[in-house]
Amino acid sequence: MPRIFVTGMGIISAIGNSVSENRTALSEEKCGIGPLGAFPSAYAGKLPCGEVRLSSDFLRSKLNVSESGVTRTTLLALHAFNECVDNADLNPDLLSAPDTAFVNATTVGGMCLTDELYHDANSTDEGSPYLPSYDCGSIALMIGQRYKMKGIINTINTACSSSANAIMYGARLIRHGYAKRAIVGGTDSLAKYTINGFNALHILSRQICAPFDKNRNGLNLGEGSAFLVLEEESEVSGKHVYAELVGYGNANDAFHPSSISDAGEGPFLAMSKALHTANLEPGQINYINAHGTGTENNDETESRAMIRLFNAPPPFSSTKSFTGHTLGAAGAVEAAYTVMNLKYQEAYPSLHFTEPIESTGLKPVTTYSKMKMSYAMSNAFGFGGNCTSLIFSKA
Amino acid sequence: MMYIHQSACISAQHSFGSADLNKLVPSNQNKMLAIEPSYPQIPPAMLRRMGKAVRMGTGAALTLLPEGGWDGIVIGTANGGMEDCIKFLNQIVEYKEGLLTPGNFVQSTANAIASQIGLQTANRKYNVTHVHRGLAFENALLDTDMFISENPSKTYLVGSVDEISSFNYNIDFLDGWFRKSPASNAQLYIGSEEGTLAGEGASMFNVSGLRQNALASIQRIGTIHGEDPELGKKLFESVISELSVSADETIDLMLSGENGDSRLSRYYEACESLLPDSVTIARFKHMFGEIPTATGIAVWLATQIISSGEIPVHMIKKQTSKKPIRNILIYNNHKGVQHSCILVSAVSG
Repeated sequence: MPRIFVTGMGIISAIGNSVSENRTALSEEKCGIGPLGAFPSAYAGKLPCGEVRLSSDFLRSKLNVSESGVTRTTLLALHAFNECVDNADLNPDLLSAPDTAFVNATTVGGMCLTDELYHDANSTDEGSPYLPSYDCGSIALMIGQRYKMKGIINTINTACSSSANAIMYGARLIRHGYAKRAIVGGTDSLAKYTINGFNALHILSRQICAPFDKNRNGLNLGEGSAFLVLEEESEVSGKHVYAELVGYGNANDAFHPSSISDAGEGPFLAMSKALHTANLEPGQINYINAHGTGTENNDETESRAMIRLFNAPPPFSSTKSFTGHTLGAAGAVEAAYTVMNLKYQEAYPSLHFTEPIESTGLKPVTTYSKMKMSYAMSNAFGFGGNCTSLIFSKA
Repeated sequence: MMYIHQSACISAQHSFGSADLNKLVPSNQNKMLAIEPSYPQIPPAMLRRMGKAVRMGTGAALTLLPEGGWDGIVIGTANGGMEDCIKFLNQIVEYKEGLLTPGNFVQSTANAIASQIGLQTANRKYNVTHVHRGLAFENALLDTDMFISENPSKTYLVGSVDEISSFNYNIDFLDGWFRKSPASNAQLYIGSEEGTLAGEGASMFNVSGLRQNALASIQRIGTIHGEDPELGKKLFESVISELSVSADETIDLMLSGENGDSRLSRYYEACESLLPDSVTIARFKHMFGEIPTATGIAVWLATQIISSGEIPVHMIKKQTSKKPIRNILIYNNHKGVQHSCILVSAVSG
């Protein structure tokens, strides 16, 4: 089986519009969550959210998108996609080569345009320009067509673990010889749809989220996109390499449509399977970018699963305390941060933490620090019990 | 190589249980609505809360549950439970973002089908949902095929589900993909009109790498994107030549995804032009309507044809005397951009 390396990354999130801006904010402990801004929702100005600071109009013009019907979810994806392919020096010929795969992930797709969708789903007269853009597949289709991509193109939706699964699928396409390189990741933008959905489930915090804290009271939604370029060993000679992808595991919690089992069975199995594919022992993991949403259910069950697997878990943190929960993008945004942990040998903190959860006593890393690490894990768990863990190694 | 051991299909035809495909069930107001069974495997209280996509997917899957369960659940669906999505959307707008009930929201995520199957069968294995519109099922097949090549003795569930909801029907209608005037499925391929009929359904398969007692095999899954008909034609050609080189066999039947939309005819004509006179051509969208994951149902249909040796008369576009049918090549084109070829073959001999 060929080894798989990360040769490029692109990120856009509430804490920056590039990999380097994200790294600066993580290193300087600058949280990107604030009151929902100029957004067409009853919650504007009230709910804390992790918004990307660039308007859709600005993104459209910066990215030279002149075609109609392109949604914010797609614009965020295109921004991160462009950064990552530039970063990995993939020229147009390589992008359109039949052995270049593209795997996107999203949960909200074009439904970020909640009001337009309401109109188009219920109207009998003229539709809006967004008719072809609501479904999850529309984003990869638009980007794939823009770059005339001829390799395998796919879109995955496993709720909040979507883009971790996109990374896993891309890696497996390479291992099985369906591609030599794969651009993998995900995107989601803030939407009235998801804000109201999570609100109806009573898991949105009115304050800035405090993952793994005893008094945490919910998550903050965020938006963003991240893509990684994965390349097989034979393609990377002479190239800059960020890290190696060594393990992945996907398991289902099979407990409840929107919460994780008390023992964290799904998270435990996903992490165990990732260790198994990486051929590593739990003690070899030096760092974990936890799923850590800040909800009562997630942080406690994830903690239990970590204790069960690691006994004394390695240093860990939740960067959702910077970005909010970017849903379908979270797996890729946090995989990119995990790659940065290894590349720069540094740990990014979990912000807003004061007291550990009583039953677990686990304390996340709370300050930025240089840290020696060989292997780091990134967790992503979602509704429907869809749990995925990835393991990267220092290149 | 992936082998199909069991299959189930819920569609607008009598496909569930003992299938009877010879008598064509007519379309109704340009829709091909699924004939749903009573779902005895699903507890009634749970059934009432399920949207149609989750119901069809779970209902079809549960009839295939093997002893010891599946080693993975892989679903392709372009839209998942979109009726629930619109119900929640209507709540948001009509109650002005007030106090809403979350049930529809939770069911509206596309992964609700795969996760519900996992939940019902206490399955903690691999669980993924592919949503890449007209190639969602193909990616689910490819995903499963990769697992099987690593673990040939294990059994995976792979399937397709999509429902007709007010979301996809109205939106695709406004976007020009469905017929504007009343049309009959029996006359779908006659004339030159834009648009087609809407369809829905679920197909489910137990697959493994074990050849013994298999119903059929899936030898090749090929996909490509782009508006040029040459792309689909080249893919089609490559599958035919690989079959001839690797197995010294030929295609006996082309299952064409032609859907009566005059704008898409050129894609199918390009592929048909490659076929020698000896190859039978049959169509299926008049039976099931257009579904983004129609190829899931086409694979089920191919398995039926291989098992029975019979092709329902209403499917035939070009009849030949070639028998038995061993190799069936499905070509499908979704909205002029997403091409796929799936080669389904007999296992005998």
